[in-house]
Amino acid sequence: MAIHDIHEIRILPAFAIARLGSSPEPMDNYDWEIPDPVGFRKLVPADTFYIDPKTGKILSRKKPDEVNFRDSKNRIKPISPFLEAWANFKKNGPLVPLTQKHLNDLGLTPSAIKWRVQLGNNKAFRRTKDPADKILADTGFYSDFIRKPLLGRCDNFLKGKKISFGFGQYIRPTPKFPEIRYRFTPARGYVYGPAPTKDQEKSNRFRNVLKDVVYDTHLGHWKGYQDLDSDPTTTAPASIFANSGSDPVKSLGYLDDECDGILELELQLKTKTLKAFARIVAGPPTFAPDGAPVRTVGDELEQALLGILLNEKVNRADIENILRRAMETVRLMNTTLMNHSVGMAWADSSQFGRTSQPIMDPNVVDNLAIVSRHEQVLLALESGSLAWFSRLLRHYNEVGDLTDEGRRKMPALMRGADGSHLALTRRMVQKILEAADLFQQHKHIVPGRKTKRSQ
Amino acid sequence: MKKTSSIEPKNLTAQLHYRGEGNPPSTHPSTAVSNCYPGLEMDFRNVWKHVFEGIELLEYSNLVIGVDPGANEKIQRLISTGIQYELISVDGIPMTAPVTGPFRHAPEMIHDTMALEWSNALAEVLPKAGQFVLCKFQNSNNLREIISMELKVCHFFDVDLNRNGKVVNQRVVIAREMASPGDLTQSLCSPWQNDYRECDCFYWAASRPDFVNVEPGKDGKSKGNNWMQKDRTGTADKKYISDAEDGVRGNPVLVSYQDLFAAWEENLRYIIAGKDVPLNNPLKKVKTGVKKKSK
Repeated sequence: MAIHDIHEIRILPAFAIARLGSSPEPMDNYDWEIPDPVGFRKLVPADTFYIDPKTGKILSRKKPDEVNFRDSKNRIKPISPFLEAWANFKKNGPLVPLTQKHLNDLGLTPSAIKWRVQLGNNKAFRRTKDPADKILADTGFYSDFIRKPLLGRCDNFLKGKKISFGFGQYIRPTPKFPEIRYRFTPARGYVYGPAPTKDQEKSNRFRNVLKDVVYDTHLGHWKGYQDLDSDPTTTAPASIFANSGSDPVKSLGYLDDECDGILELELQLKTKTLKAFARIVAGPPTFAPDGAPVRTVGDELEQALLGILLNEKVNRADIENILRRAMETVRLMNTTLMNHSVGMAWADSSQFGRTSQPIMDPNVVDNLAIVSRHEQVLLALESGSLAWFSRLLRHYNEVGDLTDEGRRKMPALMRGADGSHLALTRRMVQKILEAADLFQQHKHIVPGRKTKRSQ
Repeated sequence: MKKTSSIEPKNLTAQLHYRGEGNPPSTHPSTAVSNCYPGLEMDFRNVWKHVFEGIELLEYSNLVIGVDPGANEKIQRLISTGIQYELISVDGIPMTAPVTGPFRHAPEMIHDTMALEWSNALAEVLPKAGQFVLCKFQNSNNLREIISMELKVCHFFDVDLNRNGKVVNQRVVIAREMASPGDLTQSLCSPWQNDYRECDCFYWAASRPDFVNVEPGKDGKSKGNNWMQKDRTGTADKKYISDAEDGVRGNPVLVSYQDLFAAWEENLRYIIAGKDVPLNNPLKKVKTGVKKKSK
């Protein structure tokens, strides 16, 4: 049925993460399956779009033969997310993928859609506080289908120098793939900086590191910058930049090609201009791609959106997912080492002068024992193990409890965003408490998604 | 991932969880660490800096570090006098927590306070977006001096408002005003590779592995490799080698900062099912670096 108007456009996903890699081949799509409730997730090939780089057309959609994060030359394939335009055609109408046909119905072509990407890398600026150290890329609005370089410019760069943040591409709709979508391909993971000094040029330590010399040390002060103890606004942790290893810690002036920013869409109709935007980030790969962190940005967004209390009955799949992520985290952690002298055991002493002690009884913290404990909880949710686990959870306002009992709460041995012991989001804690309560009353909880599932 | 054909505009959960066609799980925020100290993909703490209209907070503590030039005189006072003010409560909810525990000089106990992370501390305040809430600021040098004022809570997500300021439409994208391009990654390591070698704090092990190739040893305890060990091909009992146990950072058996800056893709291995994923082909030296200009 032909449409006569577009009420609203949204870009989904609203927040997409790209991951760096130097291969010219973008990473294929894959999914997670969980064949064993306490085993590793299985990575399975999923429908992948293959794009003609020159025309921007989708040539095919198919499942690759295998999931391989590297190309034949061992270069890492960048994770390059697609962002889709969704629209509704009347107020409160359902959102559906916007297509070329919808535009044609309104007498428009895909070129009526205009995209703009604005990205920034403010790492040097965050330290030096010099606005001229901001590295910013802005494509301006455009509507063609060629790869658009995302070039970071900076007032303190040498003349003509830029850092590539990758490229964007408006995917040309076709009759077979008519949806309006954009793809962000991140940079290759290079390091940039100022010209090495003569001494540095002689040293092996400084050779073969920089992709390009971009930073002008006559204009900016990122090279040689140091975090001062007297400055309460340094980052936390402080001095986390490439440095010469000397005391005081002085910056070598290195920069990278990570970035974050905004993808914007604009569509001019006869009587109005529709606008939408999404956020994009380019970060490092997940090097253990068959697991997920115990607390994620997804959890933060869910709490910010829905609050700390549940409006509906707790979902079993959510509980399994939280516990699984805890297990996946400790499974790759040297829990014996983290129990004393490093990590939180060290931080408690160095930050607050706590007496130096292991966090747990050293006899029970071996990695295999800890993983086994998590598996038991996950396998026997109804048996009372979840109730036991829920009593051990650290609440968000207990993170400063450095007594033996306080430090042994869950999640253990990990650091939170406030620098002290990690607490889950309050909404995650609420889910576990409610599920444990229901199990104790021998009531069933909503099963949610099946064990073998995507996402 | 099953294709989604339509979503109700008010079904914000579905929009938040939507991954997009062709996108693998690692494109979604549910795979990005948020115990940001400072984080890997982003330092999500930065998103809270502008949560109150008129002031800028430090991302990791409750210190006020800036005010809008057009803000009223009372707000200006939070930075203009050279005194540092810390936000200690919002709408009656404490933004700090006590720190207790045995001090290193027994039998003394620690009596301290710490700023709580914004995400959890402000969780009950966010629903009051668009409203004014009572904020109390404490002079960090004179704890008796408290300044109280009402500040407007900003909308965390992008919204449409009617003339009365009421939300008539909400989306799941973080509002523009909360973070400008570059803000979310600004306090991460520079370059990011630094973080993979920076400290013995492996709180993100699910994406930045620490203990790999783990198997039971003869004593029944776990044996495995440090992900940073260059050589982990030995058939003998595996040994985890760390900076902490084997001396200063710079242990040549571990990947160095320089190794990561110059060739991180060669030196960081994917770990699947807890084990090293073999490379597709034997390593060849990757040429990087700035070419010297000929004179």
